[in-house]
Amino acid sequence: MLDALRYEWTRLTTLRSTYWLIGVGVLCSLAIPVIAGIAVNEEPLTSETVAAGLNGGAAFGIPFLAVFMAIIGIFTTGHEYRHGTIQPTLTALPQRSRLVAAKILVVAAVTVAVTVASMALNAVALLVFWGEVPGLFEDPLRSALLGYVLYTLIYTLVGLGLGLLFRGVPSALVVIFLVPLILETLIFGLSFLPMADWLVPVVKFLPFMSGARMMVVDLAVQDMSGPGMPDFDFFGRWASGGVFAVFAALIITGAWILFKKRDA
Amino acid sequence: MITAEGLYKRYRKTVAVDRLTFEVRPGVVTGFLGPNGSGKSTTMRLMLGLDHGEGETRFDGERFTDIRRPMNKVGTLLEAKPFHPTRSARNHLRMLAAANGVGDKRVDEVMELVGLAAVKRKKPKGYSLGMAQRLGLAQALLGDPRILLLDEPTNGLDPHGIHWMRDMLKHLASEGRTIFVSSHLLSEMQLMADELVVIGRGNMLFNGDVDQFVREFTQSTVIVRSPSADALASALEGAGAEVVKGEDGELVVSGMEIGAVGHLAFTENVELSELSTRSASLEEAFMSATGASEEFVATEPIAPATEKTGGADHA
Repeated sequence: MLDALRYEWTRLTTLRSTYWLIGVGVLCSLAIPVIAGIAVNEEPLTSETVAAGLNGGAAFGIPFLAVFMAIIGIFTTGHEYRHGTIQPTLTALPQRSRLVAAKILVVAAVTVAVTVASMALNAVALLVFWGEVPGLFEDPLRSALLGYVLYTLIYTLVGLGLGLLFRGVPSALVVIFLVPLILETLIFGLSFLPMADWLVPVVKFLPFMSGARMMVVDLAVQDMSGPGMPDFDFFGRWASGGVFAVFAALIITGAWILFKKRDA
Repeated sequence: MITAEGLYKRYRKTVAVDRLTFEVRPGVVTGFLGPNGSGKSTTMRLMLGLDHGEGETRFDGERFTDIRRPMNKVGTLLEAKPFHPTRSARNHLRMLAAANGVGDKRVDEVMELVGLAAVKRKKPKGYSLGMAQRLGLAQALLGDPRILLLDEPTNGLDPHGIHWMRDMLKHLASEGRTIFVSSHLLSEMQLMADELVVIGRGNMLFNGDVDQFVREFTQSTVIVRSPSADALASALEGAGAEVVKGEDGELVVSGMEIGAVGHLAFTENVELSELSTRSASLEEAFMSATGASEEFVATEPIAPATEKTGGADHA
């Protein structure tokens, strides 16, 4: 297994795209506290604004960093087929399960390290503009930030799984961006219509939307309960994360089984 | 030593490789011949576990997928340009080396060996096909393996490169290594290979040494020239030989030994200016052996319809 990890580490670190994708992701994320610091540094920090500053405005959609790390995840498997390197890879490392496990472990470790480093950098930006980062190690901010790390990790692994499943890059890119941004938004929107109210119980199982609940500071606001609103009966923070994790596990398991069965 | 037994691969209704069984001995270069689409590459992929099928291949007694650090035992070159375009050639090899416990020093050694030391930090997307093949061979040699499996390694090489590759493989075989190399360049095989595995449409056509292949799949002919060629041709045909008139007026006689042809000329009182035998080339033997098993055969070129109709028929 150590050989496989060494291989995957060398593969990842000898690609220029790894560095610029991480660089652009970290810079985009950093831009949020810097812009906020320049624009509104006289307003006091709340838990929500600290979270937005540290996770690069993740509450507005898919976190910037997750987008770029997911592309790295897709490249990890999809590039092997796009450039035909799967042949030399499997003649250097013919144990297929070992190869997939090494890819998952290395990409997961890099994703967590980069996400934590990005948060630390953003925390420095908050300190520069506000002179403090209040409530960093207290709930609910602490849980929301841990949720951000987990969301980015799972989102990246979904990318890795899709690259392996589709044996290429373009289809995986389409799925990982269009499903959360268009398909899930469409289902969520339709569920408000009386004629499509049968979609209401489905909403809490939408994987990317569920995963995003891990990053929310105040879940009560997100639950959207009230008169005239559908009762989505959302899961709690970590159960919602579990829905996202199960979705990722299904994608990866399916891709892994097919990878072992298919011709290279 | 490579031992392949019962290799079989089917794509829906098409049998690509049909129960191939053969051995590849160490110390010699074994050529793997077959027409386009005959299943050579699929066979090699089956041997390495890249494709799933039936049968089993053992490399010095071990299945490829069971070998820990396989590049140290079996070196492979399968596809012309399986490189990420923006990763340098050296880093490509370092990546594969990392999976097999091979150090950076050996990476530089093999780059030097194949003549790519000067461009080792360049990206392979700028490499010519010949340079890519050299990088592929460097990859195969990375772990200094005892067995080499190379699919069309001379593709894209210039004459100097082909000569270099041939000498390299013969040298490696002389060190006692097992070399299994596919090619459609028959002239190359004639110069390079000691033994042959020949397939057509996934079926084994021949497995043995090159000379035996030529003997088995061609018949030697007798070349005879004479000022009285027509009379001699009639006499030969009368004696049961098959006679074809060559382009330069020579008679190409088959079905009769050279001695019998000479004796017939003597008894018929025909003067001869040449009497010799012609051995068939590997190419002729190959055409003879695989003629019925070509997967993709081009038709004879035909004249455009407009020429036949004088170009006047434009409805």
